Amino acid sequence: MTSDSIPSLTISMEGAGALLADAAGPVFSDACQQRIWALADRLREEPGVEEAVPGMNNLMVVFDPLRLDPASLEAIVARRWKEPVTGRAEGRLIEVPVSYGGSAGEDLLAFSAAKDLTPEEVVARHTAPIYGVAAVGAMPGFVYLSGLDPALSMPRRAQPRMAVPKGAVIVGGSQAGIMPVTAPSGWHILGHTALSLFDPLAEPPAAFRPGDRIRFVAREILR
Amino acid sequence: MSIRIISPGLSTTVQDLGRPGYYHIGIPLSGAMDRLAARAANLLVGNPEEAALLEVVFMGPEIEFLQDATVAVTGAELPPKVNGEEKATWTSLAVKKGDVLSFAFLKKGARAYIAISGGIDVPVVLGSRSTYTLGALGGFEGRKLASGDVLPVGAGRGAAEGRTVAGELRRSPGAPAELRMLPGLYWHRITEAAGRQFLEDTWKVAPEADRIGYRFKGGKPLEFVPREPPFGAGSDPSNIVDACYPYGSIQVPSGTEPIVLHRDAVSGGGYFMVGAVISADMDLIGQLQPHTPARFVEVTMEQALLARNDRARLIDRIRQALA
Repeated sequence: MTSDSIPSLTISMEGAGALLADAAGPVFSDACQQRIWALADRLREEPGVEEAVPGMNNLMVVFDPLRLDPASLEAIVARRWKEPVTGRAEGRLIEVPVSYGGSAGEDLLAFSAAKDLTPEEVVARHTAPIYGVAAVGAMPGFVYLSGLDPALSMPRRAQPRMAVPKGAVIVGGSQAGIMPVTAPSGWHILGHTALSLFDPLAEPPAAFRPGDRIRFVAREILR
Repeated sequence: MSIRIISPGLSTTVQDLGRPGYYHIGIPLSGAMDRLAARAANLLVGNPEEAALLEVVFMGPEIEFLQDATVAVTGAELPPKVNGEEKATWTSLAVKKGDVLSFAFLKKGARAYIAISGGIDVPVVLGSRSTYTLGALGGFEGRKLASGDVLPVGAGRGAAEGRTVAGELRRSPGAPAELRMLPGLYWHRITEAAGRQFLEDTWKVAPEADRIGYRFKGGKPLEFVPREPPFGAGSDPSNIVDACYPYGSIQVPSGTEPIVLHRDAVSGGGYFMVGAVISADMDLIGQLQPHTPARFVEVTMEQALLARNDRARLIDRIRQALA
């Protein structure tokens, strides 16, 4: 996609008080995500809109249907999607120290074997890119990262684990992430970070915002 | 001003009307699953509707009052006892310092609300006192209550004993429970026949039914329209590119067992949704026991908005009755 083409947007109602605006195509698009963020910023100004929450190339809008007619909102979303996207201040670059492998990175060996790579090669590929925080959500302070090396793309586990620990550095499909709290997840665990992503008493409670950038730094590789 | 938990029951948490506005950092709504019952309990004891109270599941706690108070139990038919003497639900009760509140066995419903004059005075976290156990935040130390916990209670003037909410102002699920839903979202991903079948089947509440979501079993698996999986979505036809999940949305992993996401659900993920249960009926889901039969009933947007208005009027009538 070039910067001046506008991806098509599918708008569907999520019950009476929310809608999903989905522009996801076959591959994740940074330009599309910029447009999603811009749409979210604009919709937050609309009376009756309670929250605009970016997902991955999609956006959920929560609103009060007794104040803002769902059909009118749908029209507003479709119209504002086409408005030009102005530049956005570049986010912060944050380094995330990771201990790869070992008991806190229990999938590293099997993941490497499945990819026909050594654990060192997997770590090299995982630490090479600067990732973008595309979206925050799903769990308190969870970040969806774009920029994963396609060679590390891996379908999620068939059976999710019931408790993946806080700090787990994980990969699922073509996305990378970090567990902010201990919770169920079907993603693969490559390592562990001591960096805290979420503190409800901090302001803001989530360490990262959409648009921030992350670099993983290998502290050690355990076998 | 405080209460002491002698025994906590099965899973008792501090809740209020919830913590909206934080989906963007991954925090769900939390708050009472049956909001109408929670509002009514607070109104009965003279509290603001949004005061924090206790949500009780299936089995009641045993609580000692360390000061005089007004108490009311609403929601499920879980009869309260004061010093062993059975009392009415949906009615304000006067308790004295040293009195013990306990409960008889559950007769109907799933969740009861215990309001205490003054409200449970735990710290406000991100705008709410509701417990969100996954995030270990809000409520009493971010967790369900345990024996020996002493909970602070705010100052409240209380209300007269014997105030009650008339039966016609209460709502409880029918048999089977009829859950009104708006099809949408990824409804187009299932075949027309599968969509019809989904609405015709009688489902049963599965044992996995909690504040995160209610799973339903017993209907036929959904047949999908073939597709090319988009980025990040798994190969399973029920996987989607990760999107936000609102409260009430009906997700169907692998197309087999629908899960209606409730107050503590994760705010997003990669499973497709066929629509959403309307907010007026989310209260009813909070009162369903496992193995209860339930049906999904399709409504139009217009009907969903009328239902929302009806519920707002019902709350108004309770307010007026207790004013």
